Amino acid sequence: MIVDVLTGGVRGGTAILYAALGETIAERAGVINLGTEGSMLTGALAAYAVTAETGSPWAGVVAGAAAGGLLALVHAVMVLGRAANQLATGLVVLFLGLGLTSMFGAAYVGRAISPFQPYPVPLLADIPWLGPIFFQHDPLVYGSYLLAPAIWWLLYRSRVGLTIRGAGERGEVLTAYGHSPQLVRYLAVVTGGLLAGVGGAHLSTAYANAWFEGMTAGRGFIAVALVIFAAWHPLRAVGGAYLFGAALALSPALQARGLGFNQFALDALPYLVTIAALVLLGRRRSNAAPEGLSRVFELTPAK
Amino acid sequence: MTDTLVRPAPEQPKIVDNRAKLWPRVVVAVLAAPVIFGAFAAAKGVDPLAMYADMVRSLADPAQAQTVLVRASVLVLAALAVAVPARAGLLNVGGEGQIVIGAVCAAGVGLVTDQRLPGPVVLTLMIVAAMVGGAAWAGIAAGLRLTVKVNEAITTLLMNFIAIDIMLLLIYDPWKDASGFGQPASRPLEDTARLPLFVPGGTLNTGIVVAGIALVAIWWLMSRTGWGFRLRVVGGNPEAARRAGLRVGTLLVTSMLVGGALAGLAGLVHFAGTEFKLRPGMTANFGYVGFLASWLALHRPLRVASAALLLAAIAMAGDSLQIDANLPAASVNVLMAMVLLVVLGFTRRSKK
Amino acid sequence: MTAVATPVDNATALLSVRNLTCRFGAVVANDGVDFDVAPGEVHAVLGENGAGKSTLMKLIYGVYRPDAGELRVDGVPAAIDSPAAARAAGIGMVFQDLRLIPAFTVTENIALALPGRGLRFQRRALSARIAEQARRYGLPVHPDALVAHLSIGERQRVEILKVLMAGARLLILDEPTSVLAPQEVDALFAAVRALRANGLSIVIITHKLAEARAIADRVTVLRGGRVVLRNADPTGHTDAELVEAMVGRSVPGLASHRQPPGADVEPIVRLRGVDVTGDRGAPALRAIDLDLRRGELVGVAGVAGSGQRELCEVILGERRVAAGSVHIGAVAVHGRPRQALAAGAVGVPEDPLTDAVVPGLTVTEHMALADLGAARRGLGIDWRTVTADAARREERAGLRMAAGDRVVAELSGGNVQRVLLTRALGAPASVVVAAYPSRGLDIATTRRTQELLLEQRDAGAAVLVVSEDLDELLAISDRIAVLHNGELAGIVTPATTDRYAIGQLMLGGGQAGEDSGNDDTAGGE
Repeated sequence: MIVDVLTGGVRGGTAILYAALGETIAERAGVINLGTEGSMLTGALAAYAVTAETGSPWAGVVAGAAAGGLLALVHAVMVLGRAANQLATGLVVLFLGLGLTSMFGAAYVGRAISPFQPYPVPLLADIPWLGPIFFQHDPLVYGSYLLAPAIWWLLYRSRVGLTIRGAGERGEVLTAYGHSPQLVRYLAVVTGGLLAGVGGAHLSTAYANAWFEGMTAGRGFIAVALVIFAAWHPLRAVGGAYLFGAALALSPALQARGLGFNQFALDALPYLVTIAALVLLGRRRSNAAPEGLSRVFELTPAK
Repeated sequence: MTDTLVRPAPEQPKIVDNRAKLWPRVVVAVLAAPVIFGAFAAAKGVDPLAMYADMVRSLADPAQAQTVLVRASVLVLAALAVAVPARAGLLNVGGEGQIVIGAVCAAGVGLVTDQRLPGPVVLTLMIVAAMVGGAAWAGIAAGLRLTVKVNEAITTLLMNFIAIDIMLLLIYDPWKDASGFGQPASRPLEDTARLPLFVPGGTLNTGIVVAGIALVAIWWLMSRTGWGFRLRVVGGNPEAARRAGLRVGTLLVTSMLVGGALAGLAGLVHFAGTEFKLRPGMTANFGYVGFLASWLALHRPLRVASAALLLAAIAMAGDSLQIDANLPAASVNVLMAMVLLVVLGFTRRSKK
Repeated sequence: MTAVATPVDNATALLSVRNLTCRFGAVVANDGVDFDVAPGEVHAVLGENGAGKSTLMKLIYGVYRPDAGELRVDGVPAAIDSPAAARAAGIGMVFQDLRLIPAFTVTENIALALPGRGLRFQRRALSARIAEQARRYGLPVHPDALVAHLSIGERQRVEILKVLMAGARLLILDEPTSVLAPQEVDALFAAVRALRANGLSIVIITHKLAEARAIADRVTVLRGGRVVLRNADPTGHTDAELVEAMVGRSVPGLASHRQPPGADVEPIVRLRGVDVTGDRGAPALRAIDLDLRRGELVGVAGVAGSGQRELCEVILGERRVAAGSVHIGAVAVHGRPRQALAAGAVGVPEDPLTDAVVPGLTVTEHMALADLGAARRGLGIDWRTVTADAARREERAGLRMAAGDRVVAELSGGNVQRVLLTRALGAPASVVVAAYPSRGLDIATTRRTQELLLEQRDAGAAVLVVSEDLDELLAISDRIAVLHNGELAGIVTPATTDRYAIGQLMLGGGQAGEDSGNDDTAGGE
């Protein structure tokens, strides 16, 4: 059963991982996007719809990324261009996403698609224990294995990463040396939305093989919280994402074995675990926040 | 020879208060938003003008108008639940969860007493239970903010999901109505314990009175009491508040408790006025729409009333969308979001 | 008045500035300044706060644009209209507020500042280069250290390396030693000498006499935006002459006629052995013993950053002491503003916008914050009482503050100050702590403010005033406490001292660094 749960953890956590990796980039640049949930949702619908129309889940992924990125662009324009409150705007953007997906998604509820098929990696898939857990998944999961270290490299070993992190710490220093922190933030937020959209695509075309309203069920919020207690570090986000995936997979795994744990207690588990993690790691983590982000987390003034 | 010690004038950051310019902007928002929403509708093959005509017509129907008022009552309370902490600088996104907990507490008390005690007593007990429950739920987040510095926006948000799961846990098993035809729900509240109706046979209940009282009370609290004043100081400049000797931590916590209590009250009004039983999905996003309403009103208690009415009307019209234009009701969230985006984007406050 | 010791002709100077003028509105920050830097020299620019030194450097570095005058690099006129242009011309500047990102390593900070190609930033290669340059110039740093873990002295070295590696031939250091300990100063100067030996030129802006002597080949003195002593050889002038050039000699203002309370009167504010840590973790105040008595006005003089701000905050309970005690009357003040307010203390903050202005609140509402307890009536606030009280304060203060219903955040800086001064000084208090109260005010309002402070004193308050204006302090103070580097350098009385003597104390004249061979601090109590 442990294998089942861990496998489910990887599978279920992949969508969260994509979103968390994207949000890591955005928050590293100093912008928090609670609308990540909305980007995931629009990404899920776009991917599902395009897959249904074209028969190609890969086209779906591209569409999902585009949809998530577009929604995040709205957030970026509001927060960076109009200096709107970051947290409130994120939620409004989420609402926008809820409404749009509801409007345009009705036609796809219950419609079948040809989803991503699991593709066992030759040789590696046969390793006992590790094989099923890591190497018998769909291509998007494998993609996330590569993405996490790639984003780590981007943030810590590339020049672009320097500007991203600099924008999140002290934008004035960037300006002093001829960079534009605002441009960097725009790109970071949109990239975050792109990746959240890919996560949503995974959710609808690989994990659930379905589309219904509100199918992300808070995964986007969990991703945002995950970024915080991964201390904005892409590789730590991996562990957290799989942890939540496992918490999400626990319920069906237990039910399949006839073990009677209350379904709703298990449903609440991911959120409880997130809050617990924030509490335990909260103080230390908040000290590790990019300086620019700390200012957002302080009291949000209201008029 | 006298010295002139010269020094270039220091740069002063500009803080612009656009209070005076608010209403024209809201009007623009209310106009621009439908245009954009209409465009989306057109993309779905729906004639926007006909759609809006249907929506307006639906509001003129007296039964629908009553429903709008009923919804607005709950929304007013949910919006106040966001507005009070917002004045202190806190972001309460947990309205949804606090409403649920409020309804659960009310139901818990109500279902135990409604067959034994007279109606008004039960109602009073439920009101108290709902407010205490909501306050406690919000208080957890406030406490976490003060002790471990976790931002309340995230904790309250996550706690929404937990609250819903608590309710589902209860209505699927311990509180399940045996005669409910298999649908998971709690037993309906006795007639005596329900919020009385204004007109028998109509839908408008005294919840609107509750909302009105709360509105006036909060307005009075915020603008006429020392507590409300101190809250505004903290929300405006916590450092200045500290230096003036204010107890910043206490003020933050009490503002969240008040907000939670209001949301709990919203849960009661919805439960004892419309639903009468706990069922999945009963809160119908009241918490989130209340959040939108508060931001629309820029957290000013008196403006909350009109903001709540507006959003309740839009939501109501959204239901008609489903029937007339074959668009899912939730599509109307787009319209709401558009209105909010314009308001959020064009009302400046101090740089964040 | 302008003494030109060594004529320098344009062709050989690395940088030469002629007749540079810069205005900010009505304020003339630099007035017809002439200035040269030769290749391979260390040139110190001396002056008091506000003399125009920083402005001159920012003009050279392209942060400001001059209203008149010209600038030449290597004899060729240069249009430096931005810091990037200055950097391209080989000019680099190390600001007092170091342009570093604490969360980055040394290498990452330098990489950010250097133009680069390619996707990857060559971390190891850059680190090696940094280590090599550090060795060469005696600026030891660990390239992979986080800047947040570095001391200010080490951070400064990183800034200098950053500037060097960007290709600077002329380095401008803005008040580099004001935050350094004596040993760090020695290390810095050793590095400066190494730079000079490599053919680079260094301009050091400073107000510290002894250090200018220790390191500079030539010295230029600015006062009031004008050059008062140009290209002087520091060994050819005594301390006295240099200080006179910096602060001038003028008849001090009328000393107060009142007899200040004698030393036998019990003080109301007592600081004993107070150590205070500043915002960056460095000590801001060291072992301060200070008494304030009722009915006396104590001025606080010192160059910016000597601990004046922390002194005010500690008395008002806005900052905790790391050691020692603060008492107002019988009340021990432990870092809670409420305690100080309850003991009757009022403050005029140094930075009104961040510390005192509440966005969205009106003038009357701000006045209510003066004494919320008294304004309470039942659950609410008696606004009539507040308004009446505000009117009384306004009348007493006579500062023509804005109308009660104006939103303070919308007022100009000077008007904001008027509101805060009316609030603090318009009613009797037992202790008044005013930080730079005349900042941003016109002459008439400044005069009225000074009168108000004296009236508070005459009514029996203990008044503490921090100011950069020595004339002001001499005119209104019963005693003047001079802070230097967080310590009390001395306490003087206006009747027995003059600006020159205070200047010596402020500048640490006669202390630290190499020999200055000068008379000791004058005055004292």
